[in-house]
Amino acid sequence: MTGPTLAALLAQFAPLAACAVVLVALRGRPRTAAALAIAGMAVSFAASAWLVAAVAVPGRSFLAQTVFLPVDQAHSLAFGVLLDTLSTTMALVVSAVTLAVMVYSTGYMAGDPGFARYYGFLALFGWAMQGLVLSANLLQTLAFWELVGLASFLLIGFWFERAAPAAAARKAFIMTRVGDVGFLLGVLLLIRTLGLATIPDVIAAAAPGGALTGRTIAVAAALLLMGVIGKSAQGPLFTWLPDAMEGPTPVSALLHSATMVAAGVYLVARLHPLFLAAPDVMRGLLWLAIATALATATMAMVATDIKRVLAYSTISQLAYMLMGLAAGSVTAGYFHLVTHAGFKALLFLSAGIFIHHAHSNDMREIAGRDPRAQRAGAIGLVAGSAALAGVIPFAGYFSKEAILGAVGAHGTTLVLALAYAGAALTAYYSFRMVFLTLVPAGAGATEAGGAHGGHGGTGAPAHRRTPGERAMGVTVLVLAALTLVLGYLGPWLGVRLLPGEAVREPFELGTGALVALALVAAGIGLAWIEFGRAGAPRIGFLERVPALARFCGDNWYLDRLYRATVVRWAAALARAAQWNDRTVVDGATDGVANGTVGGGRLLALVQNGNVQAYLTVAALLLAALAYALGRVAVAP
Amino acid sequence: MSQLHWYLLVAVLLFCIGLYGLVQRRSLIAMLIALELMLAAISLNVVAITSLAGGDAESATGNVSSAGQVVAVILIGVAAAEGAIALSLFVAIQREVQSINVEDLSELKG
Amino acid sequence: MNWDAFLFGSSAALALIGALFAVSLKNIFHNILGFALALVGVAGLFLTLGSDFLAIVLLLVYVGALGIAMVYAVMLSQPLDTPRTPRSLPKIAGSALLAALVAMALWLVIRRAHFPGPPEVLEVAPQWIGRRLLQDYVLAFELISVLLVVAMMGAVMVARRDPARRDPGRRAPGTAAGTAPRPGAPR
Repeated sequence: MTGPTLAALLAQFAPLAACAVVLVALRGRPRTAAALAIAGMAVSFAASAWLVAAVAVPGRSFLAQTVFLPVDQAHSLAFGVLLDTLSTTMALVVSAVTLAVMVYSTGYMAGDPGFARYYGFLALFGWAMQGLVLSANLLQTLAFWELVGLASFLLIGFWFERAAPAAAARKAFIMTRVGDVGFLLGVLLLIRTLGLATIPDVIAAAAPGGALTGRTIAVAAALLLMGVIGKSAQGPLFTWLPDAMEGPTPVSALLHSATMVAAGVYLVARLHPLFLAAPDVMRGLLWLAIATALATATMAMVATDIKRVLAYSTISQLAYMLMGLAAGSVTAGYFHLVTHAGFKALLFLSAGIFIHHAHSNDMREIAGRDPRAQRAGAIGLVAGSAALAGVIPFAGYFSKEAILGAVGAHGTTLVLALAYAGAALTAYYSFRMVFLTLVPAGAGATEAGGAHGGHGGTGAPAHRRTPGERAMGVTVLVLAALTLVLGYLGPWLGVRLLPGEAVREPFELGTGALVALALVAAGIGLAWIEFGRAGAPRIGFLERVPALARFCGDNWYLDRLYRATVVRWAAALARAAQWNDRTVVDGATDGVANGTVGGGRLLALVQNGNVQAYLTVAALLLAALAYALGRVAVAP
Repeated sequence: MSQLHWYLLVAVLLFCIGLYGLVQRRSLIAMLIALELMLAAISLNVVAITSLAGGDAESATGNVSSAGQVVAVILIGVAAAEGAIALSLFVAIQREVQSINVEDLSELKG
Repeated sequence: MNWDAFLFGSSAALALIGALFAVSLKNIFHNILGFALALVGVAGLFLTLGSDFLAIVLLLVYVGALGIAMVYAVMLSQPLDTPRTPRSLPKIAGSALLAALVAMALWLVIRRAHFPGPPEVLEVAPQWIGRRLLQDYVLAFELISVLLVVAMMGAVMVARRDPARRDPGRRAPGTAAGTAPRPGAPR
């Protein structure tokens, strides 16, 4: 076994080993569990870092696969690793964010009775996500895709004793499952045509002259996109993500912003040549993405729960990534995925610091407790929002520029205009969030702040920070620093992902870039006017229209639509199935049992204790025997 | 129809009249009477066959006919013993259940 | 006149008519008397077959012993003034049908059977029976004796009233009152 293979396997299975040990043996020892999980993830991070150093060279790709279940000539089940720039950098991102979240959680989840279980599930997720990223064939990807969904279910519903997290976990699982049906069908279609080919084989088959026809490619692409839509919460299947905020904030940071929901985007990037060979599908994706981006931006503009703002923002940014990919640039989409992982995790973890102290997700309540006293959180929130909005020189600017450039090069003007509008809205809602959270609301608020401030002593110099809080703060500051640095990764990635593509200098400010920056400034300015300055009305322009506020605040009534149609039909179907099970299936079984008993009772009537009846039967049999014997002639 | 067949006919009729009584009568004693009739018919059967159709087989002690009569003697002894026990049982049953109607003695049922 | 045929016919008639009385009359004593009549007929048939000894033994045992025992049993068991439950016609019909079927089946077997020829001597002297019993069939002879003893004892035991059960306060014979030391008494 060669070095890269060993490193890849280590990156996957170290977290798995930690998970197994934690969940089996360490339930009662939280600190040991956390240490073991962090150690496993650290091993995975080191292995991923080594892989990046070894493999992320322009044009190098490394595949190792072994068949573990031979079925027949073309169809065997194989397990393998595919290592190139895309997979190794993604593995590094995943392990880094997971490690950061694990360290952060030592503070955030301290004292929770399920502490060890939490770390076990995080390690499970680490294994599943790493496996997904490094997998060599589509069936393996599908398996890990489902495992990641399982981890998401377990972690969203972590506090399952309450009804809301349990319902949210179910909703997430079922909605992503709906998309996964398409994914499975797509994978099966490809297996039927190509046998169990590795991913590079699939990509080669999609090239002109390969084994796949145009129609097959289009159908497969559309089916695979269903899975992407479900997992990355786009289009009609997005409503599970805002509800998934019922899970602990570090979980939201890890799964539902940086990594798991990005798996869909990663899949498109991984199979990008296949998707490029289906231009109609890509066009549809482009429109779907821009629609999702704008719709969820409006929802973020009216939300009062800080985590919900971030959730809508995640969906919107994922849509931007898909736009970049649909417009034909894998570099733009993937680059934005990497920077987004950094600053969105930062935003969630910073929000987590405020939530931890204020014991509430509502931005107005957080504002009342003088959050500026949590310095690390405030720094993180501002840095993350700047990156999200696309303010230069934060990371988000560069990646968003790349996407807008790609859309401009390959899409229509309308799409580009809408994308710019989305960027403006992004800036607006992110700084709305910043101002609502960090700026105490007018004179009255300071008194309320004072009344609340006495309780809990948040971050005042006299308050001694616990090690957990220190961990939380340090993690946030590290990530904040990263947002300043990640932006310069663009060219490095571009060279390695698509050798030969023109590399844009990071500070090359063309007209597009200037327009974008102006829009961003406008958005931030509007937010300051409405929320940030002293004496601000603290109500957004969208919120002033009550009907629109309700519409945007309720997922554009999409959940209501689903409840009235799909949910009701599914419930009716379930009731019918239950009736069938009780009446037909159980009825048949009970009927057989009752019939047997009844038959037995009937036959028991023969045993009535009446001697003369028995004698009658005996005599009849005797007569029959005699008759039978008598017919045979007795030999002389 | 030979002479033997006449005897055998009588035996069959006797047997079946006894069977009729055994199945139809309700009183235990009446059933016993019918049963004894059946046994008598069997004795008649044996004696008739060995007397009239025993063949010429002979042993030192006698011919087939005497063997048949020994069988009949034993049979009569058995009938007597059985009848005695049955009657004492009926007396005990009468004491317990206050009835010798066979239709009342039907506890052993399913 | 063919005395053999006449004797046979009258004996057979007696036997059958007695049997019919034995199974069909309502009064149990009439049944017993019919039984005796039937056995007289059978004894007559035995006589025509040359089995004098057997005929006498039949009468002695069946009528003399068994019949009288039945009379005793009747008197010890059912009160003669109990109201009679009416006979059920279906039961009579069914039983008659059963008897007819069995008779036909048995007759069918007899018709087809092939019997060897008659022996030379018809009459059987009692000495022959004795010799048979004590030489060839001595085991059966002994066993029947045992059977009769056992039956006698069994009949006595079954019919005996259990003395301890009648009066719960009455002790079984053999225990004297007050001779056993009471538990817990000093010394």
